[in-house]
Amino acid sequence: MTLLKVEDLKVHFPIRGGILNRKIDAIRAVDGVNFEIEPGETYGLVGESGSGKTTTGKAVMGLNNITNGEIYFGDELLNKGNKVNIRKDIQMIFQDPYSSLNPRKRVIDIIAEPLRNYENLSKDEEKKRVKDLLEKVGLTAESMLKYPHEFSGGQRQRIGVARAIALEPKLIIMDEPVSALDVSVQAQVLNFMQDLQKELNLTYLFISHDLSVVKHMCDRIGIMYNGRYVEEGTTKEIFNDPQHIYTKRLVAAIPDIDPKNRKENTNFREQVKEEYTNSYYDYFDEDGLAYQLKPITDTHRVALPERG
Amino acid sequence: MSENHSHKDIEQQVSEQQKEQEVQKSPSGLRIFWREILKDKLALISLIFFVLVSMIVFGISLILDLDEVVKIDPFAIHQPPSDEFLLGTDKGGRDVFGQLIIGTRNSLAIGFLVTLISGAFGIIFGVVSGYFGGHIDNFLMRIVDFFMVLPFIMIIIVFVTIVPRYSVWTFSLIMSAFIWMGIARLIRSKALQERELDYAQASRTLGSSHTSIIFKQVLPNITSLVVVTMTLNLAANIGIESGLSFLGFGLPEDTPSLGTLMSYATNPTTLEERWWIWAPAAALILVLMLAVRNVGEALKRAADARQRRA
Repeated sequence: MTLLKVEDLKVHFPIRGGILNRKIDAIRAVDGVNFEIEPGETYGLVGESGSGKTTTGKAVMGLNNITNGEIYFGDELLNKGNKVNIRKDIQMIFQDPYSSLNPRKRVIDIIAEPLRNYENLSKDEEKKRVKDLLEKVGLTAESMLKYPHEFSGGQRQRIGVARAIALEPKLIIMDEPVSALDVSVQAQVLNFMQDLQKELNLTYLFISHDLSVVKHMCDRIGIMYNGRYVEEGTTKEIFNDPQHIYTKRLVAAIPDIDPKNRKENTNFREQVKEEYTNSYYDYFDEDGLAYQLKPITDTHRVALPERG
Repeated sequence: MSENHSHKDIEQQVSEQQKEQEVQKSPSGLRIFWREILKDKLALISLIFFVLVSMIVFGISLILDLDEVVKIDPFAIHQPPSDEFLLGTDKGGRDVFGQLIIGTRNSLAIGFLVTLISGAFGIIFGVVSGYFGGHIDNFLMRIVDFFMVLPFIMIIIVFVTIVPRYSVWTFSLIMSAFIWMGIARLIRSKALQERELDYAQASRTLGSSHTSIIFKQVLPNITSLVVVTMTLNLAANIGIESGLSFLGFGLPEDTPSLGTLMSYATNPTTLEERWWIWAPAAALILVLMLAVRNVGEALKRAADARQRRA
C-alpha cells in the first residue's frame, strides 16, 4: 500500500497587475506532478533551484494552497490542512536550522510545542519526553534549558529533527536538510537520519539539489525541471541509466574526487553539454517544459515526446 | 620532559577556556537594555529622575486632598510664593503647588494610559494584519489609513465638547482612539518579516493555531521593538495631553494637569508677572518629556546590536 500519493498536483502563484489588481498570469511553480511513496522508503526529489521541489514538499505539508490535484495520505485525501489528525503524521524538517527555531524559545519549549498541541502531558511527563527525544538525536538533557543560538548548525538541525519526530509521524518531509550545514557535519546528520529511519520505521521525502547526497540517501528519485517531472526511477536507474538529457547532464555534473580522471571528466561533460544544446528541443516542448512521463520499465519513467 | 609539561599546560588552558565559554551565556534582552542604560549616563540620570518624580508625585497626591486643592478661595487670589503657598496661588486662590503635584500625576497617568491602551490595541491590530497578510492585511491597513486621514485634533475637540463630564479615563480613551495607528503600522511591517521565517511555518506544521503562533511565537520576537516604541510614545503622549489641555480642550479646571496650569499663561498679566503659576509646569513638561525620550533612545540603541554602546 502506498503511503503518499500525489496526483496531478499544481501550485500556481498568481501574478497580479493592471487595473484593480486582476490576476493577469500565474507562475506555475508546480505544474502537474504525480508520484507515490511506499512506506519505509526514502524518496528523493531533485532539481535546480526554482524547479518547484520545495513547493511540492510544502504543498504536501499543507503550507501552500493547492491550485489543482489531489494528495492522498494512506486512504485519506488531504486538502487545505483541515485534517488535524492526519497532519500529525506528516512532519517537516526545514532547510535553514537558523531561522526554523524560534530564537526566543528554549529548547524544551521548541521540542514540546507539538506535544502541547496534541497530547495532554503533565510537566514531568513532558520533560521526560523531551529528554528522551534529545537523547535520541544525540544531545544531552542539559540542552533543554538553553536557547537555539547556543548550538552549532548541526546541533540545531538535530533539535529540528527531535521536534519533527516528537509526534511519531509516519512521513517526514526533509527540505534540503543539510544544505545549510558544513560538509563535515552533513554526513554525520545524514547517517544519523538513516539510523533514525530504521529505528522508527519512518518514510522520508527528501528534497535536495545535491546529487551525491541523494545517491547516498534515497531509494527512488524524481527529477524536476520547471515545475514538471523529467524522470523518475530507482537510484540505480537514474545514476546508471539516465534517459532524459537533463538527467544526463545532472549526473555528469557530479564531481569526481580523483584528479587523474579530470581530463576525461571535462571531455565527458563537454560532450553531454553539446548533446544537451543540440537535442534540447527533442526533450522539451516549445515552452521549455517537460513532456508527459512515459514508463520505460516498471519503475523507470521518463518525459519523452510522442514519437512517430 | 619540559615538552611534556608545556603540553599539559596547553591542555589545561584549553579546558579552562572551554569552561569560561560555557559559563558565559549570552545576556537576555532585559539585561541588554539595562546595560545600555547604565552605560549611557544621560539615560541613567533621566531614568532615575523620572522614577523619582513619578514616585514623589504619586506619593504626595495620595496625601493631598483634591477638593482642598481646587477649592476657590477669594481671599487668596494671585498670591506670590510664600510659606503657606509654596508656589503661590492662581486666579481662584488655589494652591499652585498642590495643583502641580496632582496635575503632574494626571498628566503622567494620561500619558501611561494612552500609551498602554493605544499600544495594546495597535500591537494586536498590527501583528494580526502582518501575520495573516493578503486580503486581511489589505483591509485592516485601509482602516488604519482612514484613521490617519482624520484630523484628529479637531475630532478630539468635538468629542470633548460633546461629552459633558470627562475624567482622566475618558480623556485617555478618546486620545487613544486616534493614536494607535502609528504603532500598528510599525508592528505590522515587523510581523510581515517574521511570518516569512521558517519558525512560524514550522509551528504551523506542528499543529499550533494561528492565535498561539501570533502571541507565543511572533510577538516575543518583536518585544524589543514594542518596548522601544512604547517608551518613545510615552514622551509624545505626555506632550499631546499638555498641548490639548493648554488649548482648553483637555481636562477641565477642576481636574488639574500640567496643561491646564500652562494655559493660565494665556493671560498676558499672568505670563509677565505671575511666573510661579506656569513656569514650574512648563519646566516639568520639558524635563519629563526629555527624560523619557533619553531613556527611549537608549533602549532603541540597545535593541539594535549595531548601535549599542555597551
